[in-house]
Amino acid sequence: MLLDRRRLLTSALTLGAMHAFPGLSLAQARPLVFATFTGSWEEAHKAVLVPAFRKANGDAGIVLDPMLSVDQIAKVNAAKANPPIDVMLHDPGPALVAIGQDLVEPYPTDKSTYFKDLIPEAQDAMGPAPFFQVVGLTYNPETVKTPPTSWADLWKPEFKGKVGITNLNSTLGTGWLVEIARMRGGSEANVDEGFKALEELKPNLAAVAANPGALATLFQQGQIDISPGNFNAIQILKARGVPVEFVAPKEGAIAFKTTIHIVKNSPNKELAFKLIEAALSPEVQTTLMNPPYLIVPTNTKVAMSGEIAKVLAKDTAELKKKFVFQDWKKINEQRASWIEKFNRDIKI
Amino acid sequence: MKSATTAPGDVTSFSLGLALPLGLAFAIFFVLPLAQLVYLSLHNDTAATVWGLGQYVKFLTDPFSLAVLGSTLLLGAEVTLTCLVLGYPIAWLYQRSGSRVQTLIIMIVLLPLLTSVVVRTFAWIVILGRQGIINSVLQSLGLIGTPLRMIYTQGGLIAALAQVQMPLMVLPLITAIGRIDPNLSDASASLGAGSWRTFVKVMLPLSMPGIIAGCTLTYAAAITAFITQSLVGGGQMLFMPMYLYQQASTLQNWPFAAAISIIFLFAVLAIVALFSTLGRRARGYGDAR
Amino acid sequence: MSRRQRNWEALSFQIVMTVIAMLALILIVSPSLVVLIVSFTSGFSLKFPPPGYSTRWYVELWNAWQLQFAARNSLVVALWSTGLSIVLGVAAALAISRSKTLTAKLLDSLFMSPLVLPALAFGLAALMFFSLIGLPVSLLTLVIGHTIVCVPYVVRNTVAALAQLEPTLLESSAILGASRLYTFRRIVLPLIRPGIISGAFIAFMSSFDNVPVSLFLRDAATDMLPIRMWQDLEGKLDVTIAALSSVLIIATVALMAIMERTTGLSKRLTG
Repeated sequence: MLLDRRRLLTSALTLGAMHAFPGLSLAQARPLVFATFTGSWEEAHKAVLVPAFRKANGDAGIVLDPMLSVDQIAKVNAAKANPPIDVMLHDPGPALVAIGQDLVEPYPTDKSTYFKDLIPEAQDAMGPAPFFQVVGLTYNPETVKTPPTSWADLWKPEFKGKVGITNLNSTLGTGWLVEIARMRGGSEANVDEGFKALEELKPNLAAVAANPGALATLFQQGQIDISPGNFNAIQILKARGVPVEFVAPKEGAIAFKTTIHIVKNSPNKELAFKLIEAALSPEVQTTLMNPPYLIVPTNTKVAMSGEIAKVLAKDTAELKKKFVFQDWKKINEQRASWIEKFNRDIKI
Repeated sequence: MKSATTAPGDVTSFSLGLALPLGLAFAIFFVLPLAQLVYLSLHNDTAATVWGLGQYVKFLTDPFSLAVLGSTLLLGAEVTLTCLVLGYPIAWLYQRSGSRVQTLIIMIVLLPLLTSVVVRTFAWIVILGRQGIINSVLQSLGLIGTPLRMIYTQGGLIAALAQVQMPLMVLPLITAIGRIDPNLSDASASLGAGSWRTFVKVMLPLSMPGIIAGCTLTYAAAITAFITQSLVGGGQMLFMPMYLYQQASTLQNWPFAAAISIIFLFAVLAIVALFSTLGRRARGYGDAR
Repeated sequence: MSRRQRNWEALSFQIVMTVIAMLALILIVSPSLVVLIVSFTSGFSLKFPPPGYSTRWYVELWNAWQLQFAARNSLVVALWSTGLSIVLGVAAALAISRSKTLTAKLLDSLFMSPLVLPALAFGLAALMFFSLIGLPVSLLTLVIGHTIVCVPYVVRNTVAALAQLEPTLLESSAILGASRLYTFRRIVLPLIRPGIISGAFIAFMSSFDNVPVSLFLRDAATDMLPIRMWQDLEGKLDVTIAALSSVLIIATVALMAIMERTTGLSKRLTG
């Protein structure tokens, strides 16, 4: 009864509205909405992936809506039947959540041209991985004369008021907290020591960025001199002459794959598939691997070369050997409470 | 008294029915949503099935939430005071200037009011940054060695908000000061009172309605200035608008977000009511003279 | 002696007031100037003074399709909301301005209340409402939300203009046998037109610049310019935003000058 009345009201309103706004027809096809990450990812996708996609699909309408994975999940969760996003990008933690909450469509692997060419780790049937990320230390070589070598360097008194971090909503923030905890005897299941360490870091903190992209901005503006950071978050800035460098700490840099998903109930499934295909294609991945983007590829037909081979790894095998891969299933169990604790405790 | 007309009713007024379309639109798209907001805030769970005051209890017993509310109200007070101290002299100068200068002053004051708030805030990022204008000047003068940290600080935020909201203070002040009889100041001076004394004893009390109106507008605008608070305040300073947005958008906790907005709404209304009571007092005070 | 002291005293007062006023006026203007200067930087950061000058960021603006998309949406929504505000607002203003009934007073406070209530609360309420009745977020919902928060400006300015209208004018027109519609078209409307226009101007500007309502009612497919700019600033502090900001500042100044010429905007806002 209530539903009926509601439906009646809706259709009355909708009809009236459509009548009143011929130019704003609700049937208007909406562009493909791709939720990428902020900062360098958005720039890279805007400059390389989107043009490639448009060229292959007759200039199909597309918009980027850069936001953190956790925000993407919240947005889709709020309107499951009519999601505001068509393609989601997820680091391992949020990917597990999104799949667990039934928010993503299985990837049509048999239709895909490039899926089988991906390295085995990237061949996830719920959403393939178009790239890997590496998290280490980023710093300004003009003000930090001796390159840092360890996570512990962030606590050095000389960096008073110069350290930037991100909150735990990002994979960077949470992953880094786990490593800090590990350094002091904790693990994915126990980050109490990490929070204690954060408390001690407070005098050094200059800013808590809302997301990793904002961290790069803080370097650009000279607000911070050192921070935990993503390898490719700084590359575009570096290419533009902003003094910023990446170094893997001796404890081991963190590596993880990022997966791309078609959102369940998306009205643009076909275009979403096409966009993901473009992201997996060797052409796009090769361009993204080259300067200024330096994004680690996952297509076996794209050999790691240049700066990536020099600084990170020659191939996936070395990547897997050299870097720390965290247990996100375990992290996810407590992540929500960590985020809440962080947001309450860290005020500088 | 009715004048002799052929048309039925009073020709000088229009049918109240003309307000019907807007009245209906407000009933459906303004009153109903707000009613729903109240309704939702009175539920204890996110699915809105269990009635109760849980969300309000949660907010009012949580030191973190109360601190957010407190710092928001404090921020508003600081910004309002800054605007008053800087804005009053502008209004004073306006009344003593020729009409050309008056137009210029008004244009200068109006410019920020009509410029996009994001643009205004963006300017402050440029000004307060480590490589920004203040730091460059201070460094080139040799006053400081390393750049000062100004953005993401309370002081920087107050300066930015004060500039952004200044017009809301200055415009009512100009109106109020303009209504003061200039003879009063002259009378005060001829009776031997100095300029400062005349200002404090005559000008300030008589312009009180303008001060109150300006303070109300500035205060309400400063505490709800989402963009400026988030961009200049940075991720560490949390104020009510961002708190509300986070709960609603990222955490999808609609009942709690609804409760936050109701509490915020009442805080704003309380301030407005407080100011208008003061205003009524002040007017009575002014009339009595 | 005492007169000299008096002069000093008066002078000190005037100096202090003038200096503060000057400083405050500089404080108000300088941010816009800083943005204009920085937008011509040749560098990649918002360093001041810029390391060199170029128009590269304006060229960049030409290619910024995402910003253009948002700007187009904002413009469409602002135009629709302003149009609706004029139609609904002027009618309502006519109805309530000359009536002294309680209903009229209540309606007046109702129509003004969006100016007092935090718009953020209304934005959230509107989002919840639209999702309850199953109307998905679109340009339409944005237009509705914007109209609610912008219509008070039209109502207020029209009411103010009507208040200055001589009732005898209407009476004499009626005595001379003019119909009410004719009187409205030929006498009332021309006299209150400047009031309507300045109200509509403010409504348009506040819709184009609206954040609290758009924040909740927009999504990526219906992006709005202020929100896009805010998110760009949070994520990457692009210098393109400086170029865009300069364009907006100049457009605002131009519009303001036109409004001042045609309707005497400044008198309306201080009177």
